[in-house]
Amino acid sequence: MTASLARLWAIALNTFREAARIKVLYAIVIVVAAVNLLAIALGEMSISQQTRVARDFGIAGVSLFGSLTAIFVGIVLLYGEIQKRTIYSIISKPLARWEFVVGKYLGMVLVLTALVAAFAVAMAAVLAYQGVAISGAVGKALVLAWFEVLTVAAIAVFFSSFSSPFLSGTFALALWAIGRVTPDLRAAIASSETAWIRWVAKGALAIVPDLHVFSISGGEVDGAHVSVHSSFVDWGYVAAAAGHGALWIAALLVLACAIFRKRDFV
Amino acid sequence: MDVITVTDLAKTYRTPFRRKRVDALRGVSFTVARGEVFGFLGPNGAGKTTTIRCLMGLCAITAGKAEILGAPVPSRAARQRMGFLPEQPYFYDYLTVSELLDLGGRLAGMSGAARRARADQLIVRVGLDHARGLPLKKFSKGMLQRAGLALALINDPELVVLDEPMSGLDPIGRKEVRDLILEERDAGKTVFFSSHILSDVESLCDRVAICIGGKIKDIGRPRELVDATTVETEVRLALADDVDAAAVEALAARGAKSRRTAGELLLTLAGGVDVDAVLAAAHAAGGKVIAVTPRHETLEDLFLRRVADQGATREVLR
Repeated sequence: MTASLARLWAIALNTFREAARIKVLYAIVIVVAAVNLLAIALGEMSISQQTRVARDFGIAGVSLFGSLTAIFVGIVLLYGEIQKRTIYSIISKPLARWEFVVGKYLGMVLVLTALVAAFAVAMAAVLAYQGVAISGAVGKALVLAWFEVLTVAAIAVFFSSFSSPFLSGTFALALWAIGRVTPDLRAAIASSETAWIRWVAKGALAIVPDLHVFSISGGEVDGAHVSVHSSFVDWGYVAAAAGHGALWIAALLVLACAIFRKRDFV
Repeated sequence: MDVITVTDLAKTYRTPFRRKRVDALRGVSFTVARGEVFGFLGPNGAGKTTTIRCLMGLCAITAGKAEILGAPVPSRAARQRMGFLPEQPYFYDYLTVSELLDLGGRLAGMSGAARRARADQLIVRVGLDHARGLPLKKFSKGMLQRAGLALALINDPELVVLDEPMSGLDPIGRKEVRDLILEERDAGKTVFFSSHILSDVESLCDRVAICIGGKIKDIGRPRELVDATTVETEVRLALADDVDAAAVEALAARGAKSRRTAGELLLTLAGGVDVDAVLAAAHAAGGKVIAVTPRHETLEDLFLRRVADQGATREVLR
């Protein structure tokens, strides 16, 4: 067990070092910082809404850019090993293939956690500029966004375990987009009179991770309106959503490992 | 005890979309004994790299079986006691050679102290001491090959598998790889390698296997495989200025090939030709024998003969 953890850590650490060299990630951090600055400008244009705009932009930035980054690194860091043939020297070591996949994912978790932290710092700086501290509600929203990002990374790793970067990116983006609109799918099931629309919506709900649970500000939870600006969910909800994400991550990684185990590297 | 046992190994690929069958290996069988340097030869597309990839667990075996050091392939136990250098190796180019070896040592389950000591020793041994602090992206091809060899040896493996280790190297680089293979053999290790450079294979290997069209065509000691009889004899004669032109013509006609230069005649006689009779005729014509060089079949001759026998089946696609 200890030896397996050491191998996982070796792969994760190397993945983190590899990602740290991807210049696009630094560009994304700059873009997120710019989005937060834009929030200040837009806030100034609104009346007494500066903090509200900064919070909404900040959390949306973490969720949107974090998820897009997760798809990008999930594809690049796994497929790149096969494309560049660096995998030959690694897989031929006494390393199980599942350890390689999980180690890569853990490395991505380190990278994405660092990015989400950087995004959160940018948001906190904007709020501090406006004389507002990060509230408990914003903290919970950030934790939820972080779990969304980690779940999206697992989706990208799953697709990357068997398909090309273009297809992996397309599929992962599609799942992310569908996963964000699960309330609309449920509404379609309840209200649509067309049978095939109901079946498609039901099918999508069954196979797509419900990512809306991580992005509930402005929506409803158990019939009650929730918002980071007023009444938000409690930590119990955050833990349940994290558990939901963890289950999806585990399931996606198990599938990715099973597929990767059968792959021929030619 | 055999270090590698391969029995009726078959590998079939399916092309994407059309799902066309590609039989890369069609029942490959061989064994490699402990302490041997074993050469694996074959033209491009013969199945050498596929065999090695199957042994390394990079490709699934379609049929047959393989064992490394008594452990089934693929398995962690099989990979635990061996090292592998892939063909044209690619590494994480942002790492230094020390960091690369540290990663390899970690994956092999070595302790921190053991992998640092072993890495230091190997870096010196492969001649990369001067490039310790450089990232691998600044390495030449030869340096990368040496870094790959060090990575393959990081866990002090009992078996070293090298896929085209001399490919693309200059004569100095080739000599360094040859020396390293011999050092491993002298240390009691088993070395299995594929190569196109037949002179290296002939000089290094205790045994060789020739793989063509996904099958083993020959296997054994190089000297046992090649024909011991003389293939041809080269006779070099010095000719006086007043030599009889007709006699020279007659001499030249005895050779399978002949070439006349200023004052000399070079004859290449086929294997069955009576060399003594040719020499006597040369003396009679006033020629002086400078050199007589019999040539036996080499591994290269055998290899080319086998490839020619195979003819159109060089391509494994069908």
